[in-house]
Amino acid sequence: MISLHMFRNLPRRCFAANASIRTYASQTPGNPMLEVFNRKTKQLQKDRAAMNVEESRKVDYLKDEVAMRLCERLLDIKREFPHVLDLGANSCNVARALTTPNLDTTAPEGQPTPPLSERISKLTCVETSKALLHRDEDMPFNKDIDIHREVIPDLETLPYQPNTFDAVLSSLSIHWINDLPALLNQINTILKPDAPFIAAMFGGDTLYELRGSLQLADMERRGGVSPHVSPLADVKDVGSLLSRAGFKMLTVDVEDIVVEFPDTFALMQDLQSMGESNAILHREAGPLSRDVLLANEAIYRSLHMEDGAPGIPATFRMIYMIGWKEDKNQPQPLQRGSGEMDLTDLLGGGDFQKR
Amino acid sequence: MPTKTRPVEKFAKATAQCSAQAAAYGKCVVADYNSVHKDMCAKEFMKLKDCVMAASKKG
Repeated sequence: MISLHMFRNLPRRCFAANASIRTYASQTPGNPMLEVFNRKTKQLQKDRAAMNVEESRKVDYLKDEVAMRLCERLLDIKREFPHVLDLGANSCNVARALTTPNLDTTAPEGQPTPPLSERISKLTCVETSKALLHRDEDMPFNKDIDIHREVIPDLETLPYQPNTFDAVLSSLSIHWINDLPALLNQINTILKPDAPFIAAMFGGDTLYELRGSLQLADMERRGGVSPHVSPLADVKDVGSLLSRAGFKMLTVDVEDIVVEFPDTFALMQDLQSMGESNAILHREAGPLSRDVLLANEAIYRSLHMEDGAPGIPATFRMIYMIGWKEDKNQPQPLQRGSGEMDLTDLLGGGDFQKR
Repeated sequence: MPTKTRPVEKFAKATAQCSAQAAAYGKCVVADYNSVHKDMCAKEFMKLKDCVMAASKKG
């Protein structure tokens, strides 16, 4: 795809008939669109997963847990949010977390805290898969918050005016975005000044066990490897991506969630029911062969199962990020060297120099 | 189709009955995982596969 694009844009040169023809190395003009994932495939996977409502609800454990942890970060911002966007809402897991009372685990016992939805007047949920977005619209939590569900054809081009939202939330969606820098730019634009963007995504080492054992199984059975697990952004890149998009006062942190499964078949089935199976552009057509599946099961067990454990562990690495849109009246870091207090005094004195 | 067992579930069940063969194959691959090549553990794999085939016929 990319190479084709490059050639089409090469400048055309005319040469005199007898002149020696030279070829020049030339840089691609413009900004070629980087494509890693097949968006159509991803949408189909999500649609199919959500069609099986029962199964799809059963595997919401991970998305619900991450949505809760994401919304806990919103507790620290003591503000009213007139209009919030949930970008890539899945089955509106964030809305469910926002309407859960007593989310604040640090509150003193016996003192109920109201759900976050009381501070949010309007929540817009966007998603590419209609079946998934509307799966839970009859559930009771819909009555506790003003939800507007919108299906858009593509999460990478957001159909909103600049300075629209008081916060943008996103839970377990933007790891399927092809052009993350461009999306972050758009998010920065549609936020009001001094409004936060809070997101959680799968990061680099997610499913490293499965990635590794499938590679070994492929090598031993077929003599080569093919990507079966989609690539993910790394933690160390997220900070620079956010600051390049113009976000200020960044916070990035990482959390591992280890889930135990009875076997690798159950793990892969759950991933499929979540709509999170591989959607890489040049993936092999058709399902994995049974031989590779069988080999993978045996290799995964010998590499990662602890003695006496009932099941196999699978690691999901979450990257949580918070960035604020720039505003004049925002708190700024002080100039370097402007401190008036000695830190050693503040921390109770010390004798660095004497040692 | 919640009432019908999916083929993969049947396959998983059959595989679970061959843990000894699976362990032998796994051990063979993992023993030298920096230089895995095609059919390195073909013998162990065939034993595992035969066992799984037999188990899925029984089940």
